[in-house]
Amino acid sequence: MSSIQYTKKIALIDCNSFYVSCERLFNPKIRKKPVVVLSNNDGCIISRSNEAKLLGIKMGEPYFKAKDIIIKNNVQVFSSNYSLYGDLSRRVMRTLKRFNSDIEIYSIDEAFMDLSNFPDKEVEEVGKEIRNTVLQWTGIPTSIGIAKTKTLSKVANHIAKKKLSGVTSLIGIENIDPILEKIDINDIWGVGKQLTKFYQKHGIYNAKQLKNKSNTWIKKSSNVLSSRTAMELRGISCIGLETTTSKRKSCVVSRSFGKRIESFQELKEAVASYCLNASEKIRSESLVAKAITIFVRTSPFQRNFGYYSNSKTIDFAIATNNSIEIVKNAISVLESIYKNGYRYQKAGIILTGLSNAKDKSNLFSSQKDERINSLMRSIDNTNYRYGRSTLSLASAGIHKKWNMRREHSSKIDTADFYCIPTIKAI
Amino acid sequence: MKLTIPFYLHKAGAGFPSPATDYIEEDIDLNVHLIKNVPATFVIRVQGKSMTDVGINDGDILVVDKSLSPKNFSTVIANVHDELVVKSFVQERDKKFLTSGSKDFRDRILINEEEDIFIWGVVTYVIHSVY
Repeated sequence: MSSIQYTKKIALIDCNSFYVSCERLFNPKIRKKPVVVLSNNDGCIISRSNEAKLLGIKMGEPYFKAKDIIIKNNVQVFSSNYSLYGDLSRRVMRTLKRFNSDIEIYSIDEAFMDLSNFPDKEVEEVGKEIRNTVLQWTGIPTSIGIAKTKTLSKVANHIAKKKLSGVTSLIGIENIDPILEKIDINDIWGVGKQLTKFYQKHGIYNAKQLKNKSNTWIKKSSNVLSSRTAMELRGISCIGLETTTSKRKSCVVSRSFGKRIESFQELKEAVASYCLNASEKIRSESLVAKAITIFVRTSPFQRNFGYYSNSKTIDFAIATNNSIEIVKNAISVLESIYKNGYRYQKAGIILTGLSNAKDKSNLFSSQKDERINSLMRSIDNTNYRYGRSTLSLASAGIHKKWNMRREHSSKIDTADFYCIPTIKAI
Repeated sequence: MKLTIPFYLHKAGAGFPSPATDYIEEDIDLNVHLIKNVPATFVIRVQGKSMTDVGINDGDILVVDKSLSPKNFSTVIANVHDELVVKSFVQERDKKFLTSGSKDFRDRILINEEEDIFIWGVVTYVIHSVY
């Protein structure tokens, strides 16, 4: 082993317009056209191709508000197809792991990777090789920013997005102030809406200004996390890579309804079915939950109808992963927050305080618990073998009228044999 | 996608079945053998009859590896004027063509990135049902 210590180098690999790129993979007709992907239930625009961005379509904009531009410019619209995006994301991450198995998967389309083992001078070339390999293997274009810290690699990525090569390295640049000066304060990683307002009030509008502000001032006026950001802008790494997958702390299942729901019965079925999904999920990871939160809301965009949103959390008597117990509790909570006369658009449940199921046996455990555990195992095995929801609880309903609306779905799934893409031999 | 076939340790005899058949040693995992590069391999279904001469029929399943470069006469998935199609790849000196497996010169397409004609992936296996 050589003992040469290279400077710390962190790469941020970010997939370009990820959901759009996924839709384009098997549909080259839309390769150069403006494309947008909508959120669950076709509510908002959550991914835009560059062509769509140039038309002025905003991120997170409600679909109906952008409809005029969309129709006028023949923008291609897709409902989100999360199983396809999930599979392509896994492929991208697996490809990245060929270069360094220690990566931090930051989101579905972003990962941090340590490149400290490569010499400073070669690192941009390594970035280009990573980018080409991901593009060749998975068909997904990426932008790569390389710098001494995570925060700076985000800055570098910002610049890389606008470059043809798609790769920017800030390694070896003596004075990065001229670069940081062009980065708006709200584009800095870790600076949210509130902090942006605060900084702007104090005359800090770009990354260079924040970098040169004294730590004492930052710590005194905001918090320790903000001073970490400033340190990182100075090239001192304060935020390490989180490569080990820590056990999950909570499990969320929530969805928008395909059509608005008014009756308690239908809402109850939706919530019960989310509980079943969530409890199956935590059972598969041998976890039990301490508490459950239920939330419901109506659409914030329906002007003619009243807006209502509420949530409530309760603790289980004993931490559990038993579907029956979870559904029973969830429904009693739902009864207390349900209000008649509203058109509900979204509901969800959150299981929190997750811990290892093995530590669960206690004074109150009984033979009944053992029987319930074995019942849960049979349900999970049956569903695994014969497909989701073969065995379910009657409270989860059978017809599921409230299922997601996906009018524009590409209906392709590269991870499901029955939905694989079709290619013509002509 | 996971596809496994039970693998028996003894030969299939014509006589009385051995009680040892209850004991299955291991499963053959076709994924391991048919998919060399997992993140770069896609499974697709063929629609159309233009490739029957090279043994690819309507409805067949293709294993496509995007990380490979085609050899001469490889079956490939190509982007031709922004449509993905199954073709044969042919190289003659420095010229690269796509054909439909037939010998007819007229159906040859010259590969040209600038005209949006390029290789998308290389077909490694054809799965064809004969039952």
